[in-house]
Amino acid sequence: MNNQNHLDAQAARSKAYTIFSYVVIIIIAFLFLFPLYWILTGAFKTKQEILATTPVWWPSEFVKINFENLMSKRSAPLFDISIGGWAVNLFGYRFSFAKYVIAGPTVPAAMRWLVNTVFMAVTSMIITCITSAMAGYVLAKKRFWGRGILFSLIVCAMALPKQVILIPLLREMSALKLYDTIWAVIFPIVGWPFGVFLLKQFAEGIPTEMVEACRIDGASEWRTFTDVMFPMIKPGVGALAIFTFINSWNDYFMQLVMLTSTKNLTISLGIASMQAENSTDFGILMAGSALASVPIIIVFLIFQKYFTKGITMGAVKG
Amino acid sequence: MSNKRVVLNTKNHKLMIHETATSYLFMLPFMIFFVGFVLYPMFMCVYTSFFDATMGREDIFVGFANYVQLSKDPVFWKGLWNTLIIVLVSVPVTCAFSLWVASAISKMPVAATSAFRCIFYLPVVTGSVAVTVVWKWMFNNYYGIFNYLGNNLGLFDERINWLGDERFALGCIIMILLTTSVGQPIVLYVSALDNVDKSLVEAAEVDGATQMQAFWKIKWPQMMPTTLYILVITTINSFQCFALIQLLTSGGPNNSTMTIMYYIYYNAFKLYKYGYGNAMGVILAIIIAILSAVQFKLGQEK
Amino acid sequence: MKKIIALALALVMVLGLAACSVEKTEAPAPTAAPAATEAPKAEAPAATEAAAAPVEISLWTFPVGKWGEEATVNGWIEAFQAEYPHITVKVEYLDYQAGDDKLNTAIEGGQAPDLIFEGPERLIAQYAARGLLLDLTDLKETAGGKGLYPSIVNTCSIDGKMYAFPISQMAHCMVINRDIFEKADALKYLNEETGTWNSVDDYFNAIQAVYDSGHKDVMTIYCGGQGGDQGTRHMISCPAGNTPWSNPEHTQYTFATQANADILARFYAQDGVSFDPAIVAGDEINLFVQGVLAMGNCWNATLYNNNKDAINFNVLPMAFPTDEAAPALAGGFYCLGVFDNKDAARAEAAKTFIEWMTSDDAIYTEAVLAAGQWPTRDLGVDLYAGDEVMSQYGKFAPWFGDYYQITKGWAEFRTEMWNALQRIAKTDGSSAAILAELEAAQTAANAAASAQ
Repeated sequence: MNNQNHLDAQAARSKAYTIFSYVVIIIIAFLFLFPLYWILTGAFKTKQEILATTPVWWPSEFVKINFENLMSKRSAPLFDISIGGWAVNLFGYRFSFAKYVIAGPTVPAAMRWLVNTVFMAVTSMIITCITSAMAGYVLAKKRFWGRGILFSLIVCAMALPKQVILIPLLREMSALKLYDTIWAVIFPIVGWPFGVFLLKQFAEGIPTEMVEACRIDGASEWRTFTDVMFPMIKPGVGALAIFTFINSWNDYFMQLVMLTSTKNLTISLGIASMQAENSTDFGILMAGSALASVPIIIVFLIFQKYFTKGITMGAVKG
Repeated sequence: MSNKRVVLNTKNHKLMIHETATSYLFMLPFMIFFVGFVLYPMFMCVYTSFFDATMGREDIFVGFANYVQLSKDPVFWKGLWNTLIIVLVSVPVTCAFSLWVASAISKMPVAATSAFRCIFYLPVVTGSVAVTVVWKWMFNNYYGIFNYLGNNLGLFDERINWLGDERFALGCIIMILLTTSVGQPIVLYVSALDNVDKSLVEAAEVDGATQMQAFWKIKWPQMMPTTLYILVITTINSFQCFALIQLLTSGGPNNSTMTIMYYIYYNAFKLYKYGYGNAMGVILAIIIAILSAVQFKLGQEK
Repeated sequence: MKKIIALALALVMVLGLAACSVEKTEAPAPTAAPAATEAPKAEAPAATEAAAAPVEISLWTFPVGKWGEEATVNGWIEAFQAEYPHITVKVEYLDYQAGDDKLNTAIEGGQAPDLIFEGPERLIAQYAARGLLLDLTDLKETAGGKGLYPSIVNTCSIDGKMYAFPISQMAHCMVINRDIFEKADALKYLNEETGTWNSVDDYFNAIQAVYDSGHKDVMTIYCGGQGGDQGTRHMISCPAGNTPWSNPEHTQYTFATQANADILARFYAQDGVSFDPAIVAGDEINLFVQGVLAMGNCWNATLYNNNKDAINFNVLPMAFPTDEAAPALAGGFYCLGVFDNKDAARAEAAKTFIEWMTSDDAIYTEAVLAAGQWPTRDLGVDLYAGDEVMSQYGKFAPWFGDYYQITKGWAEFRTEMWNALQRIAKTDGSSAAILAELEAAQTAANAAASAQ
């Protein structure tokens, strides 16, 4: 009897605790949503509403002025591809490649920044997935000289903050004539060894017999990789793709150091430079922030299931 | 089986050469980027740290002078201290908070769980710059929302200059960092809690264990690998917090939010002390290597 | 997969070949730019047009008035390119908060601009002192260079060689929100006609009056870092008795004086004045423009022009207060410098641009007006005749103090100065404690200056 009472009390307590925790979590969730709400509404507020010491919770009327200011501030071609533009002297002859520039129509710079950011995130995602899958496969399934050392190097380099190598990297990029190009941001992302580590763990989970069987059937190494290995580690590649995409989208630091020209900026860098120019003109800053975050939030909401799956899978295997 | 091994042994050498060659061919694309844009700069970082390097002239070899100067630089020590505080506060808090949120929301209906998971992950996808800029507005001394709420709820009378006050600036930075770093751990913990062996928990509850006991004795050990992983990624994350510092406080007031990352950037691009900045990078890399080794050891023991 | 890669490779190669041309190397390259350099100046345009190969140069500007606006700058570039078709000018617009870092990374990245529009405190003290800028002394002989005011040329020179071509000038001053002052009945403490304060005491009286009238945020001593430092500096040194910031030779800093410490102690104790390490000059300007602050310390004619559309009250530019005969204000000079990119053709093109911009009075006037400033040589006319607002700002010109901003170790000094102010905000406000902080900053700045 006594025991029963005890259990009842315990059940009541745990129920109370559950309700309490739900309430607290709902409150915290609101706090987490609030900055985003503040960005989205702030982008449509007038200057007076933004400066009001008593916050305006909802814009009395949605104005476009902040977006108009943002768009009229700077302009850049939508895209430009240049080929050639260099010369070399060989055996007494001068080989020169004339410079051809194909430029898109002039648009507000913010549009170009979005194009740059998408290009950067997608390109680094694709290259990272391919190179990491190949490297991860052999690290997991092959025994070769130098494997141990290589793998330790990869593990060590993973935790390394990029700031550590910033100065040498900058000098290197300038020597390679890559400074102030989007590639200067992409290449270090691709070189970051987390992807290899992740896909190696994935590949280790694939039975060696399958790989061996394929080899015995006379398939080349490349075929073994593309036809057997790659399909098997696809979920891992998906996880890595999502990781790399978010990481490069938000890789503010590399962008800050490597990119200068207005036409080469990314959207986060663009917003940062807007904030430098307009410091407390929060209307234009919120408009820019909205422009920077809404696309990726939409992508996130659409692929939400894959995101969570990818993140979890990365952790389980990593 | 034993037969195969003998064959392998006799052909070992030849096979090894073949395997090594193909392996390196497969590694090649990655290695180009890894060596070119991670290892080589790392090597150059160590190398240049022994030089007095600045813009507009050749580097001058100075031996350990940069390191000696570093040991006497109070701002460096302050930055190191702040970096450690950020890591030591944000890592445990992130882990504990996300574990608590995860265990609460994992009991909810599926739709609610995924909605909350989404909400807590949003600051991560919003992007560091956008998040930083909006927080800067909310913390504004003159028309920020925090001062308004604080005054109206009667929490404090005077305005608080959140980012301009040594007592609060670092705390504000850590708080923003927390909002952007709990997203992933929550997702991970929710799935880890899902994967906990339910029959064990039920058995324990039948035996009269309280929820608390069931959690700590059964669920917690099973989630250990997840926790370790979260520790590692949060540590890396906290070390790398840069945009927050650069855009909100530039290391101020009075270096109270100066971190090593920002100080490296500061030395390189405001004072043009490239060699000095590199020496700092080397020290930081060593510290992180030690920390990683410790965490790795912990992971292996489990 | 393989096929796609092969195809892509083939495409790249075809494109590359199509763009490739081979020619026999002549002993001196046919595009030799030095030849054009040596050509007599009078025939230069014609000669270069005929012989010169296309050259692309870059121009980076800070947002000095319309120099930061695409419409204005592109107009000049088009006119220039029409006259010199072989030169293409690419423009980049910098901002004050990140511009320095951007320039520094670009220099280290080997992508320094050819032309840069900036003040001598950066061009001379930071870049020319490190040998990064080209000697522009020969431009002193051009039509636009002959009449330059010698005092300004001096600040742009090291050892008699001119490294930056001064384009425009103005005085940095402070500003008040006239409406707020009127309401607080604080206008009696100043002279609207001359833009001066009756005395240092009256300046503080005015702050007190505004504070007492209910406007609690009178003024803030921004010290978050970055630029706009001249405002804070002259806010201190003018009322302290025009104390110098460096020795006359510009080799050592001398700001740790009792007078400076006393005036800072007075600011510390003053109602309505706060030390704010969370904001930089740009924030202060915005806060003033928004009407939050009643006074601004970082102000000048250009800033007025940049912000006048956003201001919905009467502004009154003021000289910093002093009890001396006249305040020693900071001059703001803006110059074009040429980075040494080891490319004779680009260097020549950059110099051509400077000459083009300054030699013709009409074009030069446009450049000066775009900056919202005054010319650096006597044009024989008052550019702002009849413009009441600009004339108000023009009154400060005679009060230029020494241009000490070219002292060595300037970047370190600035950092030390901001940090000292941040620390002072945390002291007990006694002038002894403040002096100690100033001394610490001065020692550090001087160490940096002598190390350079």
